Amino acid sequence: MIYALTQRLLDRLWNIAGTVNIRVKILGIVLGLVFLLGLAVTLQVRHLLFQAMYTQLGEQAVAFTRDLAARAADPILINDLYALHVLLQDTQRNHPDVVYAFVVDPDGYVLGHTFNGGFPQGLLSANTVTSDAYEHTAILDTSEGQVWDTAVPVFEGRAGTARLGLSDRQVLRTIDTITGQLLLTTVMVSIIGISAAVFLTWILTRPILDLVGATQAIGRGDFSYRVKRWANDEIGKLTDAFNIMSAALQKAEAERVEREQMRAQYVHGVISAQEEERKRIARELHDSTSQSLTSLMIGLKALEDNCQQCRRQTHVIELRSIAGRTLDDVHALSVQLRPSVLDDLGLPEAIRRHVADIQKRTALDIDLAVTGLDTRRLPPEIETALYRIVQEGLTNIIRHAEAQTASIFIEYSNDKVLAVIEDNGKGFDLTGIQQQDGHLGIYGIKERAELLSGHVEIESEIGHGTSLYVEIPVPADEIHNGRH
Amino acid sequence: MLVLLAAGCGAAAPSPDRARIDLSARQPLPARYDQGIMPLRVSVAAVISPRGTAESYQPLLDYLSAVTERPVELVQRRTYQETNDLIESGEVDVAFVCTSAYIAGHDEFGMELLAAPEVGGESVYYSLLIVAADNPASSISDLRGKVFAFTDPMSHTGRVYPTYLVHELGETPETFFSRTFFTYSHDDAIRAVADGLADGAAVDSLVYDFALERDPSLAKRVRVIHRSPPFGIPPVVVSPNVRPQQRAILQNVLLTMHETPTGREALRVLGLERFTLIEDSAYDSVRYVTAAVGTLAQ
Repeated sequence: MIYALTQRLLDRLWNIAGTVNIRVKILGIVLGLVFLLGLAVTLQVRHLLFQAMYTQLGEQAVAFTRDLAARAADPILINDLYALHVLLQDTQRNHPDVVYAFVVDPDGYVLGHTFNGGFPQGLLSANTVTSDAYEHTAILDTSEGQVWDTAVPVFEGRAGTARLGLSDRQVLRTIDTITGQLLLTTVMVSIIGISAAVFLTWILTRPILDLVGATQAIGRGDFSYRVKRWANDEIGKLTDAFNIMSAALQKAEAERVEREQMRAQYVHGVISAQEEERKRIARELHDSTSQSLTSLMIGLKALEDNCQQCRRQTHVIELRSIAGRTLDDVHALSVQLRPSVLDDLGLPEAIRRHVADIQKRTALDIDLAVTGLDTRRLPPEIETALYRIVQEGLTNIIRHAEAQTASIFIEYSNDKVLAVIEDNGKGFDLTGIQQQDGHLGIYGIKERAELLSGHVEIESEIGHGTSLYVEIPVPADEIHNGRH
Repeated sequence: MLVLLAAGCGAAAPSPDRARIDLSARQPLPARYDQGIMPLRVSVAAVISPRGTAESYQPLLDYLSAVTERPVELVQRRTYQETNDLIESGEVDVAFVCTSAYIAGHDEFGMELLAAPEVGGESVYYSLLIVAADNPASSISDLRGKVFAFTDPMSHTGRVYPTYLVHELGETPETFFSRTFFTYSHDDAIRAVADGLADGAAVDSLVYDFALERDPSLAKRVRVIHRSPPFGIPPVVVSPNVRPQQRAILQNVLLTMHETPTGREALRVLGLERFTLIEDSAYDSVRYVTAAVGTLAQ
């Protein structure tokens, strides 16, 4: 029961201690130590003072009374009551803590006292001493506080008894003063302690806070941050270890960036080569193959017109039709590989023609909107990339989406170009796609966008179509007014 | 820590022994009631200090109390004159007075001699002129311009005789000494000289011998440079108002005192051998010196 309670108390204490920061902990330790030490010392000193000063008070009461008794003997013996009165008055005047003094004759009659107007009731019988005793002290509880009442026989009791009351007011005052001084000292030491603790905390937490800052910098990707080494202690070692780790991370990051650059260059090279190759093939198809086919068609036409054997005429017409279709196919292939319109008329027109071409071939209803590019052209690599992205997106829709409608929206504004390609198709599971590295369609789109520092977002849900967002930044100085 | 705290908290003033006393609630003191039996009131002139007197006369007083079967009360006063006044008014029955006090009392109100102590077979004593042991003075004339301690203004040996010596040199104490003061008892005068408070003093030879006997170290600190001719010893007197029968009883007690062991012990304490009868004429030499000095009683 008690164990459980202690455990709970300790847990709560630990919880409280755990939530405050190091600064408060150190301050708490210092303050607690100083406070406890000050309190303990104060109480102990107070205790010792009480003992010492009350012992002293008792001894003082005896000394004063012995002195009074010695000096009272002659006045009593010669019945000089005035001298006795003066002696009692002097005794009280010379010792401020003497509350009263009086002398009793052997028959118990008061010969002289320091009270004005009468004698306190019960005081006479409150303390007695035998004539052969050295003294007898009684502690009386009076209306003026505690009084050490000492009785000393005068002239071995033959001349009576001297009584003197010594108050402990001065003792209490002194003890209170010293206690106050000690507490003041404690407070002052506490203030010094707080200052020292604040300084110490600063010394201790400065490297830790530095390390926190450095950790945050590394979290942000800044590996160049190094923590200053303040001292050759555990934290100094931690700092060293941290700095070594930072350096290693920086090196690893540099290597990674280099690799990434190499990869990007490689990909860029591949894409460029692909584009170039497509361009060359398209040109070849257009310039050479198309010309040959056209020549072939002209020849066939002439053959058809000069038909000698009309039985064969039908066959020639058929051949010319095949050649015409082949010419159309070659033309379409050439456009698909690298539309010259992209270079000549720009992105909006190239996309428009591509969309028109698709709509000619399929039942897909495509809604196209291009804004912000009426009077200016994007850099060629961005135009090519966007064209290929739209091309790839539409191809995907036709191949996989089973969609009835699609929309393409391209907008240039604020130094960036945004392309959105949406369809109302069957959609797909994003998690499945993103884990599928082999899916080249989407990978190609991402690759192209990222090469131009852009990024791609895909939103899709099974049965609710797909949206593809592509955003590519356009450096302002690379915008060209008018046409290429 | 807890123990320490507990110890600290427990440090309180000692608790009082008795019930509370209100020092402001005051009542008049009860008046002294008279005892049924009238004590025999004995006064001793302040030849020695009051405490010394009380101590040394206690066996004698006890003896008187035992023999007369009455309580005995010792009455002391600072000066000889006060004692004489008590005797005159009958407030004391028996008194051990100084020689000059007797002469004054006898002349003023008929103080009566009861007995006189006997020391060394004689009822005489001397005035001794004393100085500190290291003082080179050899006579009263060497004390010119010095500080002199008188005992009581009425003391024969302590005031009248040294004044007589100064008069013989054609001076008065006021001009002869640089300063004089009264100690009111002979043993205090001896101590005043021993302590260097006074350069010289004149004391009762009985007291001197007695004091040296009680405190032998005094002998090394003071020395006697002059001894007076013998004077009648300080007597025991009674008031003229004392009934003759009472007077006879007291006289008989004193005169037979040395015949009992307790009486002898009481006498020994006082440095006396016995009490004897004495005539007024024994004090004529004192009267002569007193007359030469003039009336000194104050």
